[in-house]
Amino acid sequence: MASLTIRRVPITRASLPRRASAAARRLFGYFLLTLGLSLTLLPFLMMILSSFKTNLEVLRVPPTFFPERFTLENYRTILNDPRLPLLRFYGNSAFVAVFNVTSTVFTSALIGYMFAKHEFRGKRLLFGWFLALMMIPSQITMIPSFLILSRLGLINSLWGLVIFSAVDAFGIFLMRQFCESLPNELLDAARIDGASEWQIFVRIVLPQLKPALATLGILSFMGSWNAYLWPMIVLQRIEVRTLPVILTWYNSAHTGQGALVMAATVLIMVPILLVFVNFQRWIVRGFTMTGFR
Amino acid sequence: MEPAPKRSRRSRSGLALAKGRFVLGVTVPLLVYESLGVFVLGWAFVLMFFDYSSGRVGGPVLGLGGSNPFVGISHFVEMIRGTSVEANLFRTSLKNTLIFAFAVLPLNLAITLPLAYLLESIGDRFKALYRTIYFLPVLTSSVGVALIWLTMYNPQSGWINAILRFLGAQPVSWLSDPRAGFLGISVAMWAVILAYLWQDYGYNMVIFIAALQAIPQEFKDAAMIDGASAWRVFTRVTVPLIRPTMLFVCVMTMLSSFQVFDIIQVMTDGDPGYRTQVLMLDIYKNAFRYQRLGWAAAESFVLFLVVMGVTLLQMRLLRTEWEY
Repeated sequence: MASLTIRRVPITRASLPRRASAAARRLFGYFLLTLGLSLTLLPFLMMILSSFKTNLEVLRVPPTFFPERFTLENYRTILNDPRLPLLRFYGNSAFVAVFNVTSTVFTSALIGYMFAKHEFRGKRLLFGWFLALMMIPSQITMIPSFLILSRLGLINSLWGLVIFSAVDAFGIFLMRQFCESLPNELLDAARIDGASEWQIFVRIVLPQLKPALATLGILSFMGSWNAYLWPMIVLQRIEVRTLPVILTWYNSAHTGQGALVMAATVLIMVPILLVFVNFQRWIVRGFTMTGFR
Repeated sequence: MEPAPKRSRRSRSGLALAKGRFVLGVTVPLLVYESLGVFVLGWAFVLMFFDYSSGRVGGPVLGLGGSNPFVGISHFVEMIRGTSVEANLFRTSLKNTLIFAFAVLPLNLAITLPLAYLLESIGDRFKALYRTIYFLPVLTSSVGVALIWLTMYNPQSGWINAILRFLGAQPVSWLSDPRAGFLGISVAMWAVILAYLWQDYGYNMVIFIAALQAIPQEFKDAAMIDGASAWRVFTRVTVPLIRPTMLFVCVMTMLSSFQVFDIIQVMTDGDPGYRTQVLMLDIYKNAFRYQRLGWAAAESFVLFLVVMGVTLLQMRLLRTEWEY
C-alpha cells in the first residue's frame, strides 16, 4: 500500500534546484522524445518516398533514401489498372463505413438513451445481457456468423458484411453514460410542452449528445475502414472487397513491384489521415475516454 | 419531477403510456437483434462438439449430425494429448500466442510509460504535436503497417538489413529463417512483435498521458519539498496513483495481443515453419482454408478461456481499493 508520509524537512533543502543537472535531464528527455518521434515517422516517410521510386530502384542494395528520379508512374499504373478499379474499392469501403457509422451512432444513441432515462421491468437484466455480449470476443462468433451468412446466401455481399455490426454494445454503453448526465427537467419540460417521446429523442437528446456521437462516429469509421479479418472472410469475390483486403491481394499479385505496392498503401491510408487531421481532438479524446480499439 | 397537472396536456397515465410505447418500440427490435446474437453464440458453443466441415452436407438441423458427427469433447482431448498434425499445430500456436503477448506487454510498457512521463513533464507547446505523431500508427490500417514493415524487413533491399550491413553485421533473413533466434524466440517472431509494437504503442501513450495529466500537481510538489528525487517521485507517487490506468492498459494490451491476426497474416502467414503461427491465425486457417469448423470453434473457445483467465488474473493482481 502506497502512502504519502510527510516528513518534516526544512524547506531550504528543497529550494536548492540543481540547475545544471535539471537542464541535462531536460535535454536528454527531448532527445528520447525526438528519437521516438523519428522512429515513428521514418517508416511512413519510407513508404511515401518508395511510392515515388521506380520498381527497379526499390529493389536496389543498398536502398536509396530519396528517389533518384521522382516518378508518378506507380500512381498512374494503379489508377489505370483495369483489374484494380480503385474507385470501386473505395466505394465498397465507403459503403461499409457509412453504413456502420450511421447505424452505430443511431442505435447507440437511441438504446443508450432508453437505458439511461426510461424505467421498465427487466431493464437491469437486459442491460446485464448487453454487457455479457460485449465481453464475447469476435473470434467466438466469427464462425457461426459466417455459417449464417452462407445459409442466407449473403457471402460476397456488402450487406452481409455490415449486418452483424448494426448494433454495437460498446456504443450503447457509452451513450448510456452520457445520457445519464442529461437533466431530467429538460426532458420533462419537453413532455409538458406536449412533445412525443420520439420528438424528445430527436429534438432534445440527439443535439445534446452531438460531441459524444461525433467521437463514436469517428471511432467506428476508423474501425470499419481498417477492418481486415471479417471482410476477408465474407468478401471472397474480388470486385466486392474492401480496401485492406484488396491491398493484400494486390501485394501478392505484384511480388517484386515494391514501389507499386507502396503507392497502393499510400492511397489506402489517405482517407484515414484526412479524417485524423480534421478530427484529431475528437479522436484522441475518444480513445482516452473509451478505451476503444 | 412530476409535471404540474394544470399545464400538462396529457394525463399522467397517458404519459406513462407514451413512455411505455417508446420503450417497447426500442426494446422489441433490439431483443430480436440480440436473440440473433444469442443464437450465434449458441451455435458457436454447439459447433465445438461436432466434427463439422462446411464442405459436407450434414443433418437437417444446421447441418449437424450425419456426415458432420457429434464427437463430444474429443476435440479438447485431442488438443491436450493428441498426436495429430492439427493438435501439434494447436499447441504450437498457443505457445506462440503466449510468447507474443508476454513479449509485447513488458516492451510496450517499457516504451510507453517513460515516454508519456517525459512528454508530460516537459510540457510545452510541442506536446500536442508529439502526441499527434505518436498516435499516427494507431490509426493506420494494420494491413498497411504490415506491408511497410514487410518492405523494411526485405533481406536484400530492406532498410533494416541495410543498417546492419552499415554497422558491419551480418544481414538476417528476418521473416524466412526458421533457425535464427534471440532469447529463445525466433527472429521472425521478434520481427512481427516489433511491427506490432510500432503500430500499437501510441494508443497506450495517449492513455498514460491522460492519466498523468489527471494527477494533481500538489502531490508531486509535496514529495519534492520533502526532498524526494525525480525518480522517487515517479516510483512512489506517480506510479501508485496511475495504478488503475496501468491495470486498464495491461488488460487491453494483453487482450489485443492475444487476438493478433492482421499483421502476422500479412507479414508471415505463420511462416517460417510455423514460428509465427498464432492462435487466431490457426483458427482462421482451420475454419476457412481447411474447412475444419468444429475444430476451429473448439480452438476459439480455448482462446476465449485464455483471454478471460488472464484478464481476471490481472484484475486481481493490480486491484486497488482507494481513489484520489
